[in-house]
Amino acid sequence: MTTLGPTGFLALSSALLGIGLFGILTRRNFVLLLISIEIATNAAILNFVYFAAFAPSAPLGISGQSIAVVLVGFAATEVAVGLAIVLALNRAKGTINVAEVTELKS
Amino acid sequence: MDALAMAAPFAPELVLLAAALLVFLLDVLGVRHLEALGAIGTAATGTSLLLVIADLGFGPLGALRTLGASHLDAVPAPGTAPLYAFSSFGLVFQGLFLLAAFLVSLASLSRPSHERGAAVFFGLLLLATLGMLLVAIASDLIFLLLAIELTSIASYILVGYTRRDPRSLEAAMKFYIIGALSSTLSFFGASLLFGAYGTTNLYAIRASAGAVGYPVLALLGFGFLLAGLAFKTTLVPFHAWAVDVYDGAPSDVSAFLAGGTKKIGVFAFFLVFLGPVLYLRGTGGANPFAGPPFDIGPVVQVTLAVVAVLTMTVGNVLALLQREMKRMLAYSSISQAGYILIGVTIGTAPALAGATLQVLAHVLMKSGAFLVVAAVAGLGVGPLIDDWRGLGARRPALSVAFALMLLSLAGVPLTVGFVSKFVLFSAAVQAQGLFVWLAVAGLLNSALSVFYYGRVLKAIFFDPATPTPAPSGAAMGAAGPPPLGAGGIGYARAAAIGLIAVAIVALGLYPQPVLGAIQSAATHFVAGGA
Repeated sequence: MTTLGPTGFLALSSALLGIGLFGILTRRNFVLLLISIEIATNAAILNFVYFAAFAPSAPLGISGQSIAVVLVGFAATEVAVGLAIVLALNRAKGTINVAEVTELKS
Repeated sequence: MDALAMAAPFAPELVLLAAALLVFLLDVLGVRHLEALGAIGTAATGTSLLLVIADLGFGPLGALRTLGASHLDAVPAPGTAPLYAFSSFGLVFQGLFLLAAFLVSLASLSRPSHERGAAVFFGLLLLATLGMLLVAIASDLIFLLLAIELTSIASYILVGYTRRDPRSLEAAMKFYIIGALSSTLSFFGASLLFGAYGTTNLYAIRASAGAVGYPVLALLGFGFLLAGLAFKTTLVPFHAWAVDVYDGAPSDVSAFLAGGTKKIGVFAFFLVFLGPVLYLRGTGGANPFAGPPFDIGPVVQVTLAVVAVLTMTVGNVLALLQREMKRMLAYSSISQAGYILIGVTIGTAPALAGATLQVLAHVLMKSGAFLVVAAVAGLGVGPLIDDWRGLGARRPALSVAFALMLLSLAGVPLTVGFVSKFVLFSAAVQAQGLFVWLAVAGLLNSALSVFYYGRVLKAIFFDPATPTPAPSGAAMGAAGPPPLGAGGIGYARAAAIGLIAVAIVALGLYPQPVLGAIQSAATHFVAGGA
């Protein structure tokens, strides 16, 4: 079995971040936007797990794995609020397409 | 050590937490009066503010301090990586955050009392303020980012809390998407810094900022963090959301966002970016590595300088073009963030003091201005600057208070805005070299800003009033609530606005005590430990 090296791992998390950012920039459906944000957040979480296992210097302070667990909780909180906004938006305007919600002119 | 002694340093935070829980509990129990819940919020933020001032050992309040003097500015023991630390600089910022929250909470007591969602408003205001206090004591990157998120997530809901108004829901939606994106970028940056330094402790990162085994990783990490925090602080090119959010949110919430939550990004900038900047200036403390492989200080510093100048200029130029009051104030708030960033870029103690004073001035001026906008909207005046014509004759006291805030924003002498810009720009000149150009850019921008503030003042005091339909009443209908006290503004809001106007002039005439406290705190902060 071959193991994934540092370059490969960083490429994986960068790809996740890229997919997430691409989705945030191109998607117009709020729920798909939420999913894109989640994918991008997972890139950061993955990085913490990876660096904790293969940190170049000795870890000091809270370790990467525990940070990852906290961040999973944070992501869930954030999505809960996002879904609440989706519901309120759908109730008030009958759409969750962000391109159709344009009362504030920029 | 018993539990009480351990909890004592956190007294300001615990007061806010208890009050927030109490507000939500009362809501569940059916107590939904705006006055009752608002009184809890105002009392809690006020108490917390006094506790923080006491902890700073200011005047007679110093006797009440709950934070042992040995905790303050204590350097962490080597080999430890504390999550939080009490620095006098952080306490100054806690005071500023609480001041913004207190003023907004006080003014919100005058919101129409039939309005729904008072518990949501005051409860989340308290939770957001709690997050801000935690930002100011953070000494760990993850602790810092999570505290920022506590504030952010509460403020997403605050923006859209009325739920009926499509404009504020749209603002909440935009705020949420941008906020979630920026926190993702921040956390990704933090993960890269964790990889580069092997720690998320800010002291450890600061001590070895310029000398790191994996410079590319560190530079990328700082880059992502810069982008994430720039969103929160509304720096160009990450500023566009702020205008829509400040415009669409209820004006009291805009006051809290512009005067309060935006400043946590500023403090995070101080915490995270002083490391690289200080390293360049050769005062960054002991450098554990001999001979850095790659000096990231200049890169970070030049980037910050460019962002600062861009932010000032773009904010001011776009403010010139606005016809709506709230959008003009939002762009001027963006340009003010540029001035504040000058302090981080220079990184000396006087520059930090200047930036902190600028933050204080901005808290007063910008929360004040948005509170006035909320008051004026309650009087039935439209959103356009032209709608404010002739207000000076109809509401002289309110107009004079607003004029003081705008003059202070423009940096006119005898106001706190002048003092803060003077301290900041003279620190830039003192720092010599290319920093002088930052001062020049700041001065040119201040001159530019006089135009659009002057235009508003002209409309209020010198233009003839446009014939407006019957003020207020009409929109509320015959069954509307009785008019509020203090001529339709409400006593609490009038008190908050008056307090701000007095503070702007008082600090402009006699800034020494506050300036002294800020300067000594900034000196401690730059000197290293805390």
